[in-house]
Amino acid sequence: MNDHTNTSERPVKPKPRARSFLIALVLLALTFWAAIKVSFDISTFWEVWTNPIWGMFWPIPWDWVFTKENTFDPLIETLQIAVASTLLGCLVALPVSFAMSSLTTPNKVVYFISKTIMNLVRAVPDLFWAKLLVTAIGIGAFAGAWSLSIFSLAVMVKLFSETVDAADPRPLEAARSSGARHLPAVKAGVLPTVFPSYVAYSLYIFELNIRASVVLGLVGAGGVGRVIETQRQFFRFDRILGLLIIIFGIVWVIEQISVSLRKRLV
Amino acid sequence: METLSDTSTPAKRPPAPKTTQRWFIAIPFLVAIVWSLIGLDITLSRLLNAPGDAWSIIRQMVPPAFGEVYERGAVGKIFESVYIAWIGTIIGAFASLPLAFLAAHNVAPLWIRSPIRQLFNAIRAVPELILAVILIPVTGLGAWAGTLAIGIHSIGTLGKWACESIEDIDEGPIEATKACGGKWVSGMRWGVLPQVMPVISSYWLFRFEINVRASAVLGMIGAGGVGSELVSQLSFRNFPAASAVLIMTMAVVLTIDTISAAVRRRIIKGAETTDEDSRTLEAITDLTGIRS
Repeated sequence: MNDHTNTSERPVKPKPRARSFLIALVLLALTFWAAIKVSFDISTFWEVWTNPIWGMFWPIPWDWVFTKENTFDPLIETLQIAVASTLLGCLVALPVSFAMSSLTTPNKVVYFISKTIMNLVRAVPDLFWAKLLVTAIGIGAFAGAWSLSIFSLAVMVKLFSETVDAADPRPLEAARSSGARHLPAVKAGVLPTVFPSYVAYSLYIFELNIRASVVLGLVGAGGVGRVIETQRQFFRFDRILGLLIIIFGIVWVIEQISVSLRKRLV
Repeated sequence: METLSDTSTPAKRPPAPKTTQRWFIAIPFLVAIVWSLIGLDITLSRLLNAPGDAWSIIRQMVPPAFGEVYERGAVGKIFESVYIAWIGTIIGAFASLPLAFLAAHNVAPLWIRSPIRQLFNAIRAVPELILAVILIPVTGLGAWAGTLAIGIHSIGTLGKWACESIEDIDEGPIEATKACGGKWVSGMRWGVLPQVMPVISSYWLFRFEINVRASAVLGMIGAGGVGSELVSQLSFRNFPAASAVLIMTMAVVLTIDTISAAVRRRIIKGAETTDEDSRTLEAITDLTGIRS
């Protein structure tokens, strides 16, 4: 029997390994170096907080903000960019995802090529795409819609192809064993099981696109960001703040709708 | 003898489920799509012409002028982006960790957790670029504006993720510290933190990956980093240099992604695991909130 009156001996605490120390030291050195490089200083927090420029954000000129040409027309353009690019991106993503999933890919070559291209596309940030396309096909919403389409294609393919990977392979096997060719087998055996996820991911991509399309205009790719960029050059931060409040109010409402739809789907 | 089923005549097919309800959902979507395509003046001919325009630019981008951008100091700019992302992530991590404890419903009372949750949501709603637009007049152009923007935005996402992982814990250890007479803080320190720290630190790393991309973009509006380099090369229509900047950025982004993903896998699953597919799917589920 155990003797509870005596305190049992504590287990020995494991000693930290020398390698852990080394890693911690390297990370710490890296952090200090990075902090110097970005001119990090605790006192700057206070300086930012007490900067008199904050006064320029107030009061908000609501009568300037609540006009059709200043806010609502560009905002509509933003929404249209988000809808159109979600549509284009997700439509193309459907076949590409099936090509990119190890379960449904027609052959190894297609699998490898599509996977490599999509990984490279995703490594370029969305606004880089916007700037590139603005340069290539001209300033405006069209370039913005293109760039978001490309980016949503890349993200969608990543999300959806991995869902296809995890799909139940047995219906596909059944279709194949009854003599179906590749495409009909995928259509009948895999598509029905993953389609709800496809729609839900599309809605998620739409939410991402709405946020991205707000800032597209900062690089000349159309939408409400264009107005922000103009006012920024005039130092009218009060107008920018008013605009932002309206924009994020509307973005928030749309997102809530999308989130509730997604919850019903899956 | 009785046969189990008669296979000579095919069984009746079950009736197809009704689809009328679907149309009520589909029609608003179709209207929105048509409205957008018309509003943006996206016609088939414009769509088909765009790849041609893009192709002519791509042709001018080859071969990339690595030497030229190296002399202009593009490598330093790329590293500046990485520094901005690193410090931004650290600011976000340090600020979000205590807040996450106050926002989790199993360890914090309602009066404190609901305002903090609202704070997380509000921060998450505003993209880094918009934060940088607001911060640049206050901090001036440069890396510090980008660092603050990324730090603030990271508080929102990291706080939410950390809060959710705190809500998933086993509450036994908290009870144990209470039974030993520990206060709330010691319950958090010894009961909760050891359970959630692996998950939370892998979230920090994941956020760092995202922040590297974000900080590259922030340079485009003058908040420090490689973005400014790309913008200036593209505005001079110096396409070989622009493609060199682009390729260098992609190389850095992919390298960091790969290293960070390997470290995260090691943190969560330990040294000897190979099951990568289900892990990425879990990460997707965590991020999108969509369970398949």
